[in-house]
Amino acid sequence: MSLRFKLLLIALSTLALPLAGWLFVRQMEQLLRQGQEQTLIATANALAQSLDVLGVPQPPTGSALYVHRAPGRMVVDGYGDDWKLLAPFAQKLGPASDPGKLTLQLCDDDAWVYLYASVRDATRDRVDANDPRASNADHLTLTLQRGDLIRRYLIASAAPGHFDALTLGDASDNALPTIVEGVWQEDGSGYRVELQLPRAQMPDRLGLGVFDSAAPAPDSSDTLPLLHESKTLSAQLARIVPDGMRVRLVSDEGWVLGAAGRLADASPATAAKRRWIEGFVYRSLIAPQVSRANFAPSLPKLDATEVWQALSGITATAWHAGVDGDNVVLAAAVPLKANAEVHGALLLERTSATLPLLTNRALLSLGGASLLALIIAGGILFAFASVLSLRIRRLRNAAEHALRAGGRGDVPLPLTNARDELGDLARSFSRLLEESAAYTDYLRTLASKLSHELHTPLAIVKSSLDNLDHQAMPADARTYVARARDGAERLGAIVRAMSQASRMERAIAAAEPEDFDLAAVVRGCVDSYRPLIAPRRLDADLPYEPMPMHGAPELIAQALDKLVDNARGFAPEDGWIRIALNATPDGAHIAVANSGPPLPPAMQDRLFDSLVSVRDAGARGDTPHLGFGLFVVRLIVQAHRGSASAHNLSDGVEFTLELRGMPRRPLAGA
Amino acid sequence: MARHIAIVEDEPSIRANYVEALTRIGYQVQGYGSRPDASRAFALRLPELVIIDVGLGDEPEGGFDLCRELRGKSAALPIIFLTARDSDFDIISGLRLGADDYLTKDVSLHHLAARISALFRRMDALAKPMSKETVVEHGPLKLEAERMRITWNGAEVPLTVTEFWMVHTMVRFPGHVKNRDQLMREAQVVVDDATITSHIKRIRKKFIAIDPAFDAIETVHGAGYRWKP
Repeated sequence: MSLRFKLLLIALSTLALPLAGWLFVRQMEQLLRQGQEQTLIATANALAQSLDVLGVPQPPTGSALYVHRAPGRMVVDGYGDDWKLLAPFAQKLGPASDPGKLTLQLCDDDAWVYLYASVRDATRDRVDANDPRASNADHLTLTLQRGDLIRRYLIASAAPGHFDALTLGDASDNALPTIVEGVWQEDGSGYRVELQLPRAQMPDRLGLGVFDSAAPAPDSSDTLPLLHESKTLSAQLARIVPDGMRVRLVSDEGWVLGAAGRLADASPATAAKRRWIEGFVYRSLIAPQVSRANFAPSLPKLDATEVWQALSGITATAWHAGVDGDNVVLAAAVPLKANAEVHGALLLERTSATLPLLTNRALLSLGGASLLALIIAGGILFAFASVLSLRIRRLRNAAEHALRAGGRGDVPLPLTNARDELGDLARSFSRLLEESAAYTDYLRTLASKLSHELHTPLAIVKSSLDNLDHQAMPADARTYVARARDGAERLGAIVRAMSQASRMERAIAAAEPEDFDLAAVVRGCVDSYRPLIAPRRLDADLPYEPMPMHGAPELIAQALDKLVDNARGFAPEDGWIRIALNATPDGAHIAVANSGPPLPPAMQDRLFDSLVSVRDAGARGDTPHLGFGLFVVRLIVQAHRGSASAHNLSDGVEFTLELRGMPRRPLAGA
Repeated sequence: MARHIAIVEDEPSIRANYVEALTRIGYQVQGYGSRPDASRAFALRLPELVIIDVGLGDEPEGGFDLCRELRGKSAALPIIFLTARDSDFDIISGLRLGADDYLTKDVSLHHLAARISALFRRMDALAKPMSKETVVEHGPLKLEAERMRITWNGAEVPLTVTEFWMVHTMVRFPGHVKNRDQLMREAQVVVDDATITSHIKRIRKKFIAIDPAFDAIETVHGAGYRWKP
C-alpha cells in the first residue's frame, strides 16, 4: 500500500469527530427530553391535585363494567353487527373456570342503555323464562342495583326472537325497570341476548350470571359498578387543562372516565418544509424509543405501559409517535391516590415538535462541519503524502540512476539540502554513493595503476633477458632463458590488458564522433572475422540499406571485436556464431550469439562489469582473460548512449548492444 | 668512431641493462640517474642521441623538463622517450616537446636498437644530398626513406620514427589493406589495438594540419588501414 493511501486511511480517523458529536447531541436531546418529562409530570401532578381540590369524586376501585358511548344507532335485534366497534372491549363475566363463557358489552345513548351478552353454550336446554323449569334450564340472571334497591331478572327463551325476562321478587318500585325485554338469538355454538333499558332507570351497579344446564353451578349475583365517560368530569378537566395539552382520567382498569383538551398541532409550515432526509436522520440516529401502543383519543380503554405503571402507583412517561409522523407526543401518567389506594390515573399529553428540529439542525451542522473537516484533513494529508512520496520517489530514482551509472558520484542527489529526515537519508545516500564511487574508481584504476607499477620491473626482466642472450652460456641454459622470456612476454600481455580499460576510457574521451554507415562497418568486420572464426559457422543478418549513425566507428568495431573474440572462445569448433544488425526507432541493435554453454543466471547482469569473467579459471589460453573485454564493450556502448546485455538462448548465448549514437557536439564557433 | 648516447633513467637495473646492451652493439653509452646529473654532463658536452625516462626519481615530470632543456640547446638532437607511462596524454606531451619518438618500456632491446640506428641514419641522410632511388612519390606525397622524411605538397610532415614507419608500410603498396599486426611489426612496437588507432589518428592530424582536405589514409573496419591509391 502506498504511503498516500496509508495517510488517507489515517485521515479517516477524523470520523471519530462526528461520532463524538452524535453521542453529544444524543445526550443533549436526552437531557432536553428528560427536562420535558419532568415538567410534564409536574404539570400532571398539579392537575391531579387540582382535581382533588375541585372535589371531583375519585373513581371506584376494583372491577367495573364500562358503559360505552353508542357507536351508532343501536337496533335491538340480538345480532352483534352494531356492536362490532366495541367488540374488542367486551368484558368477560363467565364463571372463574371459564371466564370467556359469558361476555358482556354495554353502551348508552341519550335515551337508552343497551346490553349485549354472548354466551358460549353448545348444549342447549331451551325453556321460556316463565316456565317453572326455567331455573334449572339454561338461563341468564341479570341483577340491577340502584342505590339500595336491587332487582333480579331471569332471562331465558325457548326459541330465538323476542323474550320477556322474568322479574324475580318485588317489582313495585320503578326506579329500576319492572319489565325487561329483549331479543334472543342463538346458533350451534351458543346464544346472544340484546336488550335495552331506559336511561332514566339506569342502575348504578349491574350483575349478570349464566346458568348452564349441562354444568350446573350457582350463578353469582355479584354486581359491578358501572363506569362511563362522564361529561361533568370532562368539563371539570377542561377547566384545568393547559393549552395545547390533552388530559385523560382513567379508572384503575384503564377505562377512560374523562378527557379534555387537544394537542397543539405541530406547526404545519415547518412540518411541510422539513426535508425527508432530516426526518430520516432524526428517526435513525436520535429519536427516542417510540411506544407503538394505540393512543387514539377516542379509545375507551388505554392499554399503554405508562398507564399501567401509573395505576400500580408509579409515575411514568412515554413517547408516542405523533399523528403526522414528524412530531412526537410525550405522555405522562400520574396515579390518583386516596388513602394510599390507587383509584385511577391522570394521563397528560403534549406534542413536542421542536426537539427533532433543534437536534436535527445541530446534527446536520455537525455532520457538515465534520465532513468538511474530513475533506480538509484528508486533502491536506493527501497533498502532504503526495509531496512526501514525490520526494521519496525522486530520491529513489536519483539513487537508482546513480547506481546504474556505475556508482560514479557525478549524479547529484536531490534533497541533500532538506532539513528533515529525508534530507538525512539523502545525505546518507550521497555519502554512500560517494564511497561507492570512490571504491569503484579505485577498482577501475587499480588495474592501470598496477600495470603502470609493473612496467618497470618487467622492463628490468626483459632487458636482462635480452642481455643474457648475448652472453656465452650452455645450450641447455638457453632453454630456461627462452622459458623466462616466454613468461615475461605473457606477463607483458597481462600488464597491457590491465591498462587496456583505462586506455580505452581515454580513447573514448578523445574520440571524435562522425557520421558513418554502421551497416558498412559491421559488414566489413564480419568479412574479416570469417577466417578467424572457421571452422565454426558464421551467420550474418545484416541490412543492405545503409544505417546512418553518429559515433566512433573504430570503437564500435573494437566492441564487435571483443564480442566476437568472446563468442569464439565459447563456441565449440562445430558450433556457430551469429551476428545480426537491426535498426531501431532511435538507433541500432547489434546481437552476437554463439552456441556456447549458457551463462550462469547470477552472472548475466554482472558480465559487463570490470574484472568479471565467466571463463573457466583452469583453461589457460594464450591470452589472459581478466574480464576487461566486456567491460570495454560496455564503455563503448555507454559512450554511444546505449546499453549492453547478455542472456541465454534456447541453444546458446546472445549478447546484445543497443546503440543510439554519440551526442552531437555543437559546432565550434557556432 | 663510436656514436655517443646518453641514457637518463632512475632505475639502476634498467639503466645498466640498456647501457650494456647498447655498448655491446657498438655505441659509446653514458648512463645518468637523475636530471641534475644529466644536465651537468650535457652542459659540458652534448651526446649524439638521448634516451630519457619521463619520471626521474622524485621528479615525476623530470624527463619532460630535461627534454625541453636539451631542445633549447640543440634543435637537431634526436631524443627518445622511454617510459612506463603509456597514456595518450603523456605521449602527446612528450612529442610536443620535440621528442623524436616515444616508446614504452615493454619495447625489446632489439626494437630499441632498431630505432636508434634509424634515427642515426636519418641524421646522416639529412647531412648528405638526397639520393633519388630512395624517394617514393605518390601524388602530393613525397617519401624519402633514407631521411625518414615525408612531405605533402612540399611541406614537411613532422612524423616520429614509429609514425614514419607506419606511413611507409601503407604507402609502399597503396590500396593494400594493412592490418594492425602488420603495422605493429613494421613500426617495431608491441602495443594494443587502441594504441594503433591513436597512432593513425595522430598521423592523420599531422597531415590535416598541412592540408585540411587530406583523406588518403582510409580505415577498413575490421581489417585495418590502407593508403588510398
